[in-house]
Amino acid sequence: MTFNVRPDRHFIRPVHRSNRFVLVEVTAPPARSERVRPPVNLAFVLDRSGSMSGEKIRLAKQAIEEGIGRLHDDDRFAIVVYDDRVDVVVHGTLATPDARRTALDRLREIDARGSTNLGEGWLRGAQEVAEALTDEGVNRCLLLTDGLANVGITDRDTLARHAGELRARGVSTTTFGVGEDFDEVLLQSMASAGGGHFYFIADAASIRDHITSEVGETLEIVARGVTLEIGAAEGIRVESLSPYPVNVGRDRTEITLGDLTSDERVEVVLRLNFPYGELGRSTGAAFTLSDRDGVVRGEAKLGWAYADNGANDHQERDRVVDRAVARIFAARARQEAVGLNRHGDYNGARHVVEATARRIRSYAGRDPELRAILGELEGELQVFAAPMMEMDRKHAYASSSYLMNSRMADGKAMKDPNRGGR
Amino acid sequence: MPPDSEYSLQDLSDLAGVTPRTIRYYIAQGLLPSPGKAGPGATYADGHLNRLRLIKRLQREHLPLAEIRTRLAALDDATVAALVEAPASEPPADSAIDYIRAVLGGDASFESTALSRLAAPPASPPPAYAVDIAAPAYRLAEFGPAYTETPTPTPAPDRSQWDRILLAPDVELHVRRPLGRRQHKRVERLIQIARELLEEDQP
Repeated sequence: MTFNVRPDRHFIRPVHRSNRFVLVEVTAPPARSERVRPPVNLAFVLDRSGSMSGEKIRLAKQAIEEGIGRLHDDDRFAIVVYDDRVDVVVHGTLATPDARRTALDRLREIDARGSTNLGEGWLRGAQEVAEALTDEGVNRCLLLTDGLANVGITDRDTLARHAGELRARGVSTTTFGVGEDFDEVLLQSMASAGGGHFYFIADAASIRDHITSEVGETLEIVARGVTLEIGAAEGIRVESLSPYPVNVGRDRTEITLGDLTSDERVEVVLRLNFPYGELGRSTGAAFTLSDRDGVVRGEAKLGWAYADNGANDHQERDRVVDRAVARIFAARARQEAVGLNRHGDYNGARHVVEATARRIRSYAGRDPELRAILGELEGELQVFAAPMMEMDRKHAYASSSYLMNSRMADGKAMKDPNRGGR
Repeated sequence: MPPDSEYSLQDLSDLAGVTPRTIRYYIAQGLLPSPGKAGPGATYADGHLNRLRLIKRLQREHLPLAEIRTRLAALDDATVAALVEAPASEPPADSAIDYIRAVLGGDASFESTALSRLAAPPASPPPAYAVDIAAPAYRLAEFGPAYTETPTPTPAPDRSQWDRILLAPDVELHVRRPLGRRQHKRVERLIQIARELLEEDQP
């Protein structure tokens, strides 16, 4: 495994509240082939409202079949379907050959109909997982939908809060949004708060690929409940620009990275805000990486020195950090612009993108990668400043979400490039 | 940091990680007290900073602004400071299964779980500073969050129900749910537009 912590700059100003950025890079260790994998405990929650009929539900059912096919006898699974009503098709059970056969028979009988009680469907799936929580394995509810929550609990914030509360109690949530009618902000916030992943599935044909890939990741998790703790000198404020759940205490900040799969690579971008200080004095912060089972462990310390304006203005910058920061701000601007565009505020969308581009330009210099990030963002200005197709909004939102969460362009885990992809 | 620090709007914004515009909005909305003196030379104190930090923390727990306002109104500066400095992560007292059963069973107190963990655990006698958030009637009548399902223990037989949606402190929209998908989208849009219109200063 690797754990690197690098600051963008080393000097800070004595009479100015300097902001400095830190890039934290984590690579999970590979799964050992001789390793006995701890059991997983999964619930598949499937939207079967009318709009899911045809290809979508057929392929989703096939994907669940394949997912169940990969489980061992000591893993557990449950299947829940919902429209305006919630049905537990298979209660949480050990994945024995008999149980799998019965599940497949019942799965085949499911057809699409009705409206969508997403909240209760998801909670019933989580309940099936929670009934038999495994201590040493992964407990996760996988929710697939192509629509909105329009019956029962429908409020985004309420659902995201429940997802966070369940994560704190050991059940994580992954969400799959299919087509262009689902609520990406809802599904993204449920997954972020819920410690799982959010996937956008543009066409039904890739439903199978996404579900089996997520099940595969779950089976290859090597470190659970990974957290990054930052203890900073008095007066330094630490903030995560990457959208992981954060707990801020008096003198430490804890960032929950969640479960990491074999060889997975995760980047966290932090912003540190420094208090005034005496010229020549130094200050610093300590970074600790840990997980529930003691699989990953890392410690690092960084220092900054209060220096005069000349030294501050001419100090070297770590371009790798600058690029990570620029990418995150660009992704945030895109997501905000998508929301404004959807509500017809094209000027607002343009302003958000322009402001971010201006800021990146101020430090891009001649760095080719930063110029490329900038060029791409400026190239999209006209797109956000005019009515967009909903499918394009979904693509723009999801690709930004993947970037901020260290996922690949298709939403899958980013792997250590030195390991030659597995 | 000395207890009587004075901050400019920009300092406060940098320290709290909140834009100056948002700070002004919070003051207009009554979430933050007005600065020591008005105008460009306005100064802010640690009380402002701590309140901003608490607002951010409550927002991370996905609490609606209206609920945050009501909660903050009941707290004095010392209590806010104590809450901000309290250790952030404590393991939850109940299990996942208890939590889900309570939500599915329509236990009204679950609407306020996140908040209660911070300031007013319903299981123990409420501290002197706490708002009584366990009383569902008060909560719903005074600041029911948008879209919250009506916490009636026995749902009406036809499954439809009226939701009250808070658009602004003095304006509500009533919607009978469930709505069709198309209609739901239109209502969502209406709520968004109405909120923007009514809270033009919102960042």
